[in-house]
Amino acid sequence: MTRTDWAMLRRVLRVPCITLVALVALLAINVALGATLPFRNVWIVEAGVAACMVAIVLLVSMDLLDETPLIRLFSSIGFFWLLIMFGMILTDYLYR
Amino acid sequence: MIAEPVGIELVGHFATVSQQREAAKLGLWAWLVTELLLFAGLFLCALIIRIQHPAAVTLAATHLKFWIGAANTAVLICSSFTMSGAIALSRIGWRAGMLRFMLATAGLGTLFLGLKGFEYYQDYVEHMVPFLAGPYVLARDQATRLFVDVYFITTALHGVHLITGVSILLVLTWQASRPHFLARHQNRIEVYGLYWHFIDLIWIIVFPVLYVLNR
Amino acid sequence: MRDPATPHGTIGQPSDYLHARYTLRSWFFTTDHKRIGLLYLASITAFFVLGAIAAGLIRLCLVVPNGQIFTNDTYNKLFTMHGVIMVWFFLIPSIPSTFGNFLLPLMIGAKDVAFPRLNLLSWYVFMTGALFTMITLILGGVDTGWTFYAPFSTTYSNTYVIPALLGVIVVGFSSILTGLNFVVTVHKMRCPGMTWFRMPIFIWTLYATSLIFLLGTPVITLALILLVMERAFHIGVFDPRLGGDPVLFEHLFWFYSHPAVYIMVLPGMGVITELVAAFAQKRVFGYKFVAYASIGLASITFLVWGHHMFVNGQSQLASTVFSFLSFAVAVPSAVKVYNWTATIHKGNIRLDTPMLYAMGYIGLFVLGGLTGLFLATLAVDAHLHDTYFVVAHFHYIMVGGTMLAFLGGLHYWWPKFTGRMYPEAFGRVGAFLIFIGFNVTFFPQFILGYLGMPRRYHVYPPEFQLLNILSSAGSTILAVGYFFPMIYLIWSLWFGKRAPANPWQARGLEWTTSSPPPPHNFAVTPRVDFEPYDYAIKAREVG
Repeated sequence: MTRTDWAMLRRVLRVPCITLVALVALLAINVALGATLPFRNVWIVEAGVAACMVAIVLLVSMDLLDETPLIRLFSSIGFFWLLIMFGMILTDYLYR
Repeated sequence: MIAEPVGIELVGHFATVSQQREAAKLGLWAWLVTELLLFAGLFLCALIIRIQHPAAVTLAATHLKFWIGAANTAVLICSSFTMSGAIALSRIGWRAGMLRFMLATAGLGTLFLGLKGFEYYQDYVEHMVPFLAGPYVLARDQATRLFVDVYFITTALHGVHLITGVSILLVLTWQASRPHFLARHQNRIEVYGLYWHFIDLIWIIVFPVLYVLNR
Repeated sequence: MRDPATPHGTIGQPSDYLHARYTLRSWFFTTDHKRIGLLYLASITAFFVLGAIAAGLIRLCLVVPNGQIFTNDTYNKLFTMHGVIMVWFFLIPSIPSTFGNFLLPLMIGAKDVAFPRLNLLSWYVFMTGALFTMITLILGGVDTGWTFYAPFSTTYSNTYVIPALLGVIVVGFSSILTGLNFVVTVHKMRCPGMTWFRMPIFIWTLYATSLIFLLGTPVITLALILLVMERAFHIGVFDPRLGGDPVLFEHLFWFYSHPAVYIMVLPGMGVITELVAAFAQKRVFGYKFVAYASIGLASITFLVWGHHMFVNGQSQLASTVFSFLSFAVAVPSAVKVYNWTATIHKGNIRLDTPMLYAMGYIGLFVLGGLTGLFLATLAVDAHLHDTYFVVAHFHYIMVGGTMLAFLGGLHYWWPKFTGRMYPEAFGRVGAFLIFIGFNVTFFPQFILGYLGMPRRYHVYPPEFQLLNILSSAGSTILAVGYFFPMIYLIWSLWFGKRAPANPWQARGLEWTTSSPPPPHNFAVTPRVDFEPYDYAIKAREVG
């Protein structure tokens, strides 16, 4: 591996590395919160952290930031449909 | 490193390479939508069980193997990194490096499966398997069974996807090790990478939903 | 590339897709979407016959009120198999997998679908699942109803529930693969100039149906997997004795199964639009409204599933919300009905067989749809739920609707698929027999349901016998009606008149290529610079 090889490797792996560090850091936060349970409704924070991790994987690792509007539409349709399913079923279970 | 030519070979019914590439990508995203909805039903079950039996769910969640779950999450995040590396190197034609990253990804995926198997074994030893005949450690609260069973089904379904993923990855790695693969089928690495990231994504949701939020 | 191909001699010409190769291998390993469409056509017809036999036996049993003809266990197995076969192995694949596979690339000017090998795989997956379920019939059947409600299916039934569920789960994957293929094909494979608003309405409805395939099927896959787990391992999620909730299964089941009925309805609506435009020789009235209504139906349909569960224990709030949204979902359907009527109005109408089916569809679909609104009304549903009123309602849509659309489309596109014309006189007789037989069978069931006769019972109060006999008599007429096309269509394969490229003087790219089409659909890739349904508006000819 020559010096130019290493430089090229660093260049193409820059974004994946930052993503890795970010995801591991967020995981560490969630693990710490889950292990120590500092306050009552900590699950809200944990859910938010998990949502951030999901967003990072979608937008960065799966390239959605650079994708066409069509692909972005398809990637968001699934989550939107989850809202429908969860929301409407909750009108049953939360109001029995 | 030796930069190989990178490209896609046109198949008969497509008019242009760009059309073929975009079609493959859209096809995979459409498949991922169905996968998300498949797991969503299980997350829904977990939520409903939580609403109906909050104390039982907390009790059950504290008996899950939190640290093995956390370690597994880290393993999959690393495997996502290696998969991204493989994709990046495939784009510049660095075949040897790409293959190493692909094998590393498969290795990390296998490590996840090993840890999961060990976790299941621990669950069995600690009598945390209510769906099998035999003693059940949380029998004092029968409602805990629901959550524990959902945990097993969710992680088993994810495991099945991971086994499938690793198998396809190994086949793909073997194909990609042949000469001229990157010149003819580079987009297969990218399209497969999307699937791998999605397996990671599902676990990133599974871990908090089952192991963390309910503690 | 606008005018129909001029007829040419056969010497030295390339073969069409039917005659290019004759081997079994060339059929069972084909990646040609047209051949795959025909493979599906043969399969679903076979399953239809099996499901129809089950229906015939049901109607036979109901001729007497005391259930002497079959035991209650046998009766339960009959209506279960009738439902399972008709819903999953006939209606859901019928129009999308036969007409959709054959016509989608032709209508958008493509050479094939986006993933031809995946297309073939979807047929093999379909056959595997369907045959597996048929094996459970031979082994002894299932008696839970096609809805598989817990806890009967999970705890109390003694029949082959798990194999049946596994078969249906596998068939679900076939749907997903077809939907995925169609979605990508519509987005990426349109020929130059074929913009979204130049596509035929049939493509819009196929696209909307494919979205439902993708968004709904995985949820029932999971629901049925959980049912298998519940039955095999007593996991407890649907078992009240362990703290679970049977209604949760119903939520997961109907989240797919209500949109599934729109999978059955939407493609039929697309077919009717094509028929009505061709046989009135007129542009579709309000094309954009119809296109948007198709997408609207596919979206709103996911919001109404709870109307199957009004009396099953869900919350009052949920019932109210679902009832309101069920009224809303009727609006796009109504838009389409008005647009068909406006399309026919002042058109140059020809009452050939496909048009007869289309007109039958419009009337019967309106009846079926309106009775759906009765059922969507909470107070009325409390009385009508699980009665024959519901049975009549959905048969008006499924048979009076989708089946008529299927038969109408089959006759309309038969020349394109086979290169032969069917005998028109027999076609008309068949259409009338089916229409009459259908109404005699199912209209009495509205009355029976209103009077309180429950569904899925093999006995009933003696005062209902006359209406039941009437219904069963109608079913024999309907059966004769179904035989007609089966016989004369097959007859036409060898003895029918050879068809020109465009026997109906219709618009649409599929009519610009030969009947049958060449293996790669078009000699030259079409370029589209014309609007859809650009019929010249002719003055009504006198006499």
